[in-house]
Amino acid sequence: MSDNLARVLRPNWDSTPDIAPVAEPRHIEIVSPRSQRHARPKIVYALSAVTGVAAIVLAQLLLSVGISQSAYEVSRLQASQVELGRTAESVTEDLVRVSSPQSLAANAEALGMVSNSNPVYLRLSDGAVLGAPASASGSQAGTASLVPNSLLAGVPLVTDLPQNTGQGASVGGSTTERPAAVAPAAESNALPTPTTR
Amino acid sequence: MASSTRFSTRSSRRRTAVTILFLFVFVAVFVVRLIDIQVVRAEALSADSLGNRSVEQPVFGSRGDIVDANGVVLAGTVMRYNITLSPRNAREFDRSTDTGDVTVTVAQAAAEVGAITGQTGDEILQIIAASLAADKDSDYAVVMRAVDVAVFRAIDKLDIPWMYAEKNPGRVYPDGAVAGNLVGFVSSGGEPQAGIELGQDACLASTNGTETYEKGADGVRLPQSTVTTAQAKDGGDIVTTIDADLQWFVQQVLAEQAVATGAAWGNVVVQEVKTGKLVAVADYPSVDPNNVNGTPEADDRGSRAFTSPFEPGSTFKALTTASVLDAGLATPASRVVAPYRYLPPNGANVNDSSNHADLNLTLTGVMIESSNTGMSKFGELLSDQQRYDYMTRFGVGSASESGFLAEESGTLRPYEDWDNQTKYATMFGQGLTTTALQVSSMYQTLANNGVRMPVQLVAGCRHADGTMTDVPGAVGTPVVSAKAARDTADILEMVYQKAWLAKTWAIPGYRVAAKTGTAQMPDGQGGYTKGYLVSVSGFAPADDPQYVVSVSLADPVKLNSSAASAPIFQEVMSQVLKKYRAVPSGATAPALPGTW
Repeated sequence: MSDNLARVLRPNWDSTPDIAPVAEPRHIEIVSPRSQRHARPKIVYALSAVTGVAAIVLAQLLLSVGISQSAYEVSRLQASQVELGRTAESVTEDLVRVSSPQSLAANAEALGMVSNSNPVYLRLSDGAVLGAPASASGSQAGTASLVPNSLLAGVPLVTDLPQNTGQGASVGGSTTERPAAVAPAAESNALPTPTTR
Repeated sequence: MASSTRFSTRSSRRRTAVTILFLFVFVAVFVVRLIDIQVVRAEALSADSLGNRSVEQPVFGSRGDIVDANGVVLAGTVMRYNITLSPRNAREFDRSTDTGDVTVTVAQAAAEVGAITGQTGDEILQIIAASLAADKDSDYAVVMRAVDVAVFRAIDKLDIPWMYAEKNPGRVYPDGAVAGNLVGFVSSGGEPQAGIELGQDACLASTNGTETYEKGADGVRLPQSTVTTAQAKDGGDIVTTIDADLQWFVQQVLAEQAVATGAAWGNVVVQEVKTGKLVAVADYPSVDPNNVNGTPEADDRGSRAFTSPFEPGSTFKALTTASVLDAGLATPASRVVAPYRYLPPNGANVNDSSNHADLNLTLTGVMIESSNTGMSKFGELLSDQQRYDYMTRFGVGSASESGFLAEESGTLRPYEDWDNQTKYATMFGQGLTTTALQVSSMYQTLANNGVRMPVQLVAGCRHADGTMTDVPGAVGTPVVSAKAARDTADILEMVYQKAWLAKTWAIPGYRVAAKTGTAQMPDGQGGYTKGYLVSVSGFAPADDPQYVVSVSLADPVKLNSSAASAPIFQEVMSQVLKKYRAVPSGATAPALPGTW
């Protein structure tokens, strides 16, 4: 054990050779001090280093397997994203098409609605009727569409859709239930004329 | 012991030298190889490797939309697919089904594809044969262009190994012929052909980019390997001032009446008084940009409202009236005697449309009766130059600010070139031509207290970041005094109330100012045809003008008078007032005497 304790330094008389060395050479062995022995690498270190390297290699291997597995996953998801994008696009296209004025007008007419551009107002402050109320004749803006839209070719009117589309209750299905409730435009001028309050 | 030590030192030195030498040689070999690969043959090798693994594909920039004032898409870009095949690889193949592999012959595959695309199997076989006849190594032939997603998916499902789909962005016009004449259309190759598509292409056009990525042997894209080699750039959106719903209504009403009266063509312009914005510009016949071939006549594919000038006729008298009033040379009550035939000193010959005895008319009465002779007597109070100056300030003779492609300026010859008859004819709208747009703009000026607003069709180019560029100017130019404009409006209101069409165009609850026109149509050879261009222009509510409606019908053979155009005016104006919630007029119109 190395230390820094103070010692009395005395000549080591006993070890001083006073006689000639004997012929037979003594077997000399270098004995490392404890400190040196301690500093010497131990097998456990080597083992841990090798294990570490192995672990790293393994981790990297697994990681790259994982990444390439993810590449397939990403590829699959991207493909499905493209597909969904296509679906979204084509559905939007359909929606925009059926919301065109021609489609709306034709469907409204099919449901028994009549266009009336005659402006009449009821003034709330005194109940006065501004304008001349008249029942819609149906002549305004015509019946048949004179403004063509070739995109609507083959698109059925809501009234032509199958009546029972099942539990799915699609948009088309829910509207088809309405025509029965929609009475034809009231022939009599049903607008109440509030002459008094 | 010493000699052995020396010996071992020497041998270990030799060993070291050999080892070092070996190492050097070893490293040198690698260095040479490295340089060879990395420097000498680098280009060739990397190109080779990329060629094997990398895939280049176009990235499509999306062409901008054309939208109406409320954002309704009038023209949009959608992805379409070209179905192509490799003729030289077209041979029978095995298809795995639930019941095992089935061999599908080329004819069978062709029939299956044809059933989806609407072709016959033979037609597709013909495509393969024709392509191989042209080039026996042919690797590319188009089966059908621009099919939609449903067709693309159905064909994809057939899993034919020698059939491919390529992307081909297409143009779609969801509202069909609504504003079709304004929007224009693109060719099947995507090149703009007409209308706003062509006129505003600088804003709409997109730039395609390219990207490359690397794929493994199994075709899977390698992560992090995508390189954008050229950035795709989307086009900007054109925002128009048009209202798609109103545009549809106006087109529908116009088409109905045009068919009923047998008109050759017609148009209706609806303009906002305060801003000069066009909210509807309807043309008959109209074109469906989705089906351009459905409109065979090339002239019917454009917008005549912008591109077909005509002699405006009596609607132009409002301009002459406003000019005389502005110059302070008459009042609405100024009196003239209007004969059937007026022969001014300069040798011109002015007639009214029908024979009548001399009428004692005021300026208001001249307008109500639409008397050419009476108008001549007022018009001649101004010099030719003064009238010419008023006309140019009203926008006659120069194309409007709308920026529509190939817009016509109309013909207004310099006043020095007017012959004696033209000097008078120009007072009541003959001997010069205007577009429907210019007539509308004229009435907009009168309705807006004499201030002419720039005509606006395009509100600007909207970029991806929301910024708008190319926004047109909105500074008005005073043309006549507010008083003159107001007086003219009062006169036009009397016309609306008392002219022969009063019952036809009445809109209960509103005060309206309007004037009819019935003008002979030039035959293009200096003379006139037998047909008439009948028109009505006006604005409402007269007490606080909001909208101008200007109707023109060319040669309505079944009803050759402005009675043909008046119902259109009535229906369109009613709809406009209702749609924009114009407040019904409170006070009654000031009564101006028409006779004395």
